[in-house]
Amino acid sequence: MKHSRAVTLTKCQDGHSLNFHAMASPCEVIIQSTDRQLAIKLGNIIASEVWRIEDKYSRYDQNSVCSVINNSAGQTVNIDEETYLLLNFAEQCYQLSDGLFDITSGILRKVWRFDGSDKLPTSTQVAKYLSYVGWRKVKFDQQQITLADGMEIDFGGIGKEYAVDRAIILAKQLTNLPVLINLGGDLAVTRARLNNAPWQVAIEHPNVDSTKSNINSNSTADMILSLTSGALATSGDARRYLLNKGKRYGHVLNAKTGWPIENAPRSITVVAPACIQAGILATMALLQGDNAEQFLSEQEIKFWSRR
Amino acid sequence: MKTEKTNIKAALTIATAALLGGNTITHAETVSSNEDSSWEFDSAFLFYSEADRVSASEVILNAKKIFEDDEILNLKLTVDALTGASANGAVAQPTVQTFTRPSGKGQYDIAPGDIPLDDTFHDTRVQLNVQWTQAVADNLTASGGVHISKEYDYLSLGVNGNLAMDFDRKNSTVSLGFSYFQDTFTPEGGIPKPFASMLIGDSSAPTWDDEFAKTRLGSEDDKTTTDLLLGFTQVINRRMIMQFNYSYSMVDGYLTDPFKILTVVDDNGVAQDYVYESRPDSRVKQSIYAQSLYHFDTNVFDVSYRYMWDDWQITSHTIDSRFRIPLGDNFGRESYIQPHFRFYQQSAADFYQPFILNSEPLPAFASADYRIGEMTAFTIGLKYGMLVNHGHDLSFRLEYYRQTPTDAGFDEPGVLKEVDLYPTIDAVIAQVSYSF
Repeated sequence: MKHSRAVTLTKCQDGHSLNFHAMASPCEVIIQSTDRQLAIKLGNIIASEVWRIEDKYSRYDQNSVCSVINNSAGQTVNIDEETYLLLNFAEQCYQLSDGLFDITSGILRKVWRFDGSDKLPTSTQVAKYLSYVGWRKVKFDQQQITLADGMEIDFGGIGKEYAVDRAIILAKQLTNLPVLINLGGDLAVTRARLNNAPWQVAIEHPNVDSTKSNINSNSTADMILSLTSGALATSGDARRYLLNKGKRYGHVLNAKTGWPIENAPRSITVVAPACIQAGILATMALLQGDNAEQFLSEQEIKFWSRR
Repeated sequence: MKTEKTNIKAALTIATAALLGGNTITHAETVSSNEDSSWEFDSAFLFYSEADRVSASEVILNAKKIFEDDEILNLKLTVDALTGASANGAVAQPTVQTFTRPSGKGQYDIAPGDIPLDDTFHDTRVQLNVQWTQAVADNLTASGGVHISKEYDYLSLGVNGNLAMDFDRKNSTVSLGFSYFQDTFTPEGGIPKPFASMLIGDSSAPTWDDEFAKTRLGSEDDKTTTDLLLGFTQVINRRMIMQFNYSYSMVDGYLTDPFKILTVVDDNGVAQDYVYESRPDSRVKQSIYAQSLYHFDTNVFDVSYRYMWDDWQITSHTIDSRFRIPLGDNFGRESYIQPHFRFYQQSAADFYQPFILNSEPLPAFASADYRIGEMTAFTIGLKYGMLVNHGHDLSFRLEYYRQTPTDAGFDEPGVLKEVDLYPTIDAVIAQVSYSF
């Protein structure tokens, strides 16, 4: 379904809400201000920025920088500073996760379709595509990038969180009033609400809570958490899995083996100063499988997970 | 194992700062602490002390309010108190010297070999600045302000205006500034006549007041200052900002320091007389300034250079640099240190001379004020700042300043060879600032 690019304004209790659609998600900007003109201006600035990032880094858009790189068939492609900085960030994440997080692993989706069915790919199929995975094979510097023929990169794991952080920067440039930016569940705030009140954010029924010692694994209630600064991001999707012979295969793939990570939580929500940090920490935790929660606890990071 | 895991978090923070720009994350924490009202306050207490000379303490309170449409009202109150001794301009002598105080009431003696300092220096200054800034059109910001400053013997009134225009998606800004000050000086003891001899003797004698009055022109004088500033700021890339300024300043009126004198010496360098200094009644100063601010992954490097020249033939070079190094991580309490280094070098005004030779004709203008003589100076300092509860910024600054006046090539006859004509000045500066 193709969504039109429009921003709608709604007046809410003590502010304005701006809604638009981008990156296959509903997006919302809330500003705690009664100034309608300011709200419209903010909504337009942020939506334009998010759409700009979507156009530039979407792997579905044939004109995107991402597609140009993926269709380069082994040829060197010139890149700009922003792309370099994103690749550099992806490189850091690859290093920090010891190769588990790899933006070249998206090509494995050609054999893995997490549609709730029982259709597993064969080892041969996985092995064939795994040969196109490997960040180490990518050469890039500040000016250009070269992928081996057949390889692809995918900014899906960081693009939306990056857009949240960019939007926060722009919001702060425009106003010092409280603003919340929510791009399909990955969100951040510019500051506390007026009177130093926290923003109330709902997250889908987590059953493991890092801030509480007792773990209630049967909880199905949504949780409301208070946010006065920083960001939160969720990785994982409980609706995307395969079920084969009683075994559940979640959609998080191990970039080294080409197979789903075993026993990963269905989703993890992490709080961090920047959204892209929260997102990558959540993804890295999922990649730890059984040890996801332990990984985050050891980092002394606030999180909620669903098992 | 624990250490290795913790490193992931820290490494991610650095990677994120590299991606989003150095100050983004730090900023998130700071801004989150804004209190209910949108008034923001900065306060600072500064202490400055020159070894054996002047010491000053200063309190600054700055209040800023940002209105809904981004208009900014800024109020700044500065109170400073100055006490101690200040060089009167005379040279040291191998014998005891006696000087009359600027008020004409009483005398003070200076020991052989000592730099003559007038130790009655004390003043309190109260200064208030009010500034209003708002957007007047897309990409055009205007600002206007008033200034009032009052000391015991000084009143300064000023107005200023500034226009800033952004273009190239706010990557470039051109600004044009203007300010005008009207200062009135009413020194105790009145305005001395240029080159009049300082009256020395029995200040309780019945004829003293009449004699003293003969060395005076009147009770007050004034000056005006007009400044024009042309500035250009350019964002070079995500990490670097550069700024260039040109300023033109015209000062007209009473520019002489009524408290400064010169020693008239004979061919043996022995003091014969002390005369009040005399300066031209106008000065045109120009300067160019370049500043560059560079964000490394986490550190910020700030360096600037200024070249100033004027029609008194004074030229000066200033290099100023600061390097901000964050300590600790962004998830908890933040702190930083900031080393500071400043170097300053100036040439003498064309009428500067450390003393007057009685064998030579009197010049049109003369001053022995070391502040317009040839000198070099440097400052080294360190600032430590931290975010305390609710993200309020608390910082401490300690600096050492050394000023070294140098000989611009004046002969030193007779006894003047035995005394220090160009004493160095050492000072410490300590400051505590708190934003809330």
